Amino acid sequence: MLPALVRKTWRDDRRALAGWAAGVAAFTVIYTSFYRRFQGAAEMKQDALPKGMLDFLGIADMLSAAGYLQATVFSLIGPLLLLMCAITLTARTIARPEEDGGMELLLVNPVSRRAFAGQRLAATGTAVTAVAAVPWVLLMVIVPAVGMQIPLSRVSAAAFGLVALVWCFTGIAFLVGAATGGRGMVLAVTGAIALATYLANAVSGMAGAWGWLRWLSPFHYFIGTDPLHTGWHPAELLVLVAAGAATTVAGVVLFDRRDIGV
Amino acid sequence: MTSDYAVLAEDLTKFYGPRRGIEGLTLGVEPGEVMGFLGPNGAGKTTTIRLLLDFLRPTRGRATVLGLDPRRDKATLHGRIGYLPGELAFPGRERAADLLRFLGDARGGVAWSRVTELAERLDLDLTRPVRAMSKGNKQKVGLVQAFMHQPALLVLDEPTSGLDPLMQQEFLAMVRDARAAGQTVFMSSHVLAEVQQVADRVAIVRDGRLAAVERVESLGRRAVRSVEIHFADPVDPGEFAGLPGVGDVTVSGPVLKCTVDGRLDPLIKAAARHEVVDLLSAEPDLEETFLSFYYHSEGAGDATRAGA
Repeated sequence: MLPALVRKTWRDDRRALAGWAAGVAAFTVIYTSFYRRFQGAAEMKQDALPKGMLDFLGIADMLSAAGYLQATVFSLIGPLLLLMCAITLTARTIARPEEDGGMELLLVNPVSRRAFAGQRLAATGTAVTAVAAVPWVLLMVIVPAVGMQIPLSRVSAAAFGLVALVWCFTGIAFLVGAATGGRGMVLAVTGAIALATYLANAVSGMAGAWGWLRWLSPFHYFIGTDPLHTGWHPAELLVLVAAGAATTVAGVVLFDRRDIGV
Repeated sequence: MTSDYAVLAEDLTKFYGPRRGIEGLTLGVEPGEVMGFLGPNGAGKTTTIRLLLDFLRPTRGRATVLGLDPRRDKATLHGRIGYLPGELAFPGRERAADLLRFLGDARGGVAWSRVTELAERLDLDLTRPVRAMSKGNKQKVGLVQAFMHQPALLVLDEPTSGLDPLMQQEFLAMVRDARAAGQTVFMSSHVLAEVQQVADRVAIVRDGRLAAVERVESLGRRAVRSVEIHFADPVDPGEFAGLPGVGDVTVSGPVLKCTVDGRLDPLIKAAARHEVVDLLSAEPDLEETFLSFYYHSEGAGDATRAGA
């Protein structure tokens, strides 16, 4: 039997989770199922947009199946949707109940502070992971169905990268919430980090002198390795997982040390 | 010594930056005792309670609850405490029954009959969503969850807030039952009257400091009431200031305000010489009378020592 707190967390979040899962699923299905019809138009779009713009958007080419998939699901809107989902739901683990006062009745559960923080994040983390895995599951079906010529192991590598990226930012959001207890703080700080590191990755690809910036960006470890063409890159993915794990541990430790609900 | 008390605070101090929450609180609550924790808003009651529950960490000093350390033994301790928050807010949007089931499960399971019995006692409908409830009904849900697992210690922050008088009486009966069952109750309030009815002792805090700890029996005699008289015409304060038992006389135009210790007769006789429009007499307000009594007497003591 799962801890009562984990079940309670899922129950409280179930509507938001269903909404996000449906949204992400719809996004994935709609974009990829246009693949065939898009082939002609893609050529025009490719020519219409300047090269610099395409690089910035993380679009290498839209003509190949891999390029199309990268441009639609993995470059901007996919990560954006999933990060919004992860950050807002993670803000609910500690910061939101602390702000609206519900924290006290949650925290009187007979578990240690660390176990409390761990259970809250475990519940939200698994839920967010499930949402982040929606594109993966769907692409396993859609990619062969619409005739995209990409090995599924490469699609899996990219889709797992998306999950790892979500883990990384879930950890950051959790750390901010656990350390400060402020919901606005979680959204602002994590959102700013996401935006800044996204831009860092985009800029580093365009300007040679700024190339080093990419090493600071989670987005580089997720998509900079071009998994749809090159497959799995365990070391890069491990960086994302490690970042998520380290921020989680830091969050639990800081939550254990501070005053709650001041 | 520590294990002899249900709650023991030793020099317990909490500052929020430069602002004082509570300072130098040393207080012991006996097992099986009902202790009222009295003081005006902002006196440090909630801070103290949050320290006992390890939501806050003391700046100095320490607390021992049921012989355990609030931080180190949080898991064990919170299973043996029933806590009613002062600012009651509930996590989630579920029905009262589902929320209570969760809280019961989290505490290792609570017989559902116990929950329904308490809900019936407080006339609470468990099928409604907690968010949609009135303040009074939310307070009842808070009370049910605090009492339902029959904890060794009940820590209740302003438990009667929002309850109508009938339910306040029912709550006081629940506290008496808890004491009869050997449970310890530590309840904060700013209303002297309700605490007087059930508590064995009261501790009084003012401005973040413990002002006094008294047995309840010795409190009743200090029943100083505040009186307000509206006259038809302006009156002279000098007429009333010297009367036996009358104090703190202030007059603004035709309105006289004062406190009366003991019988009202001298004041009424004096007032009868004028045309009286209205007369209001209130139960002694803790803030006005009882606390200020301790506050002033403490202050006077300091002044005397300073002068010596």
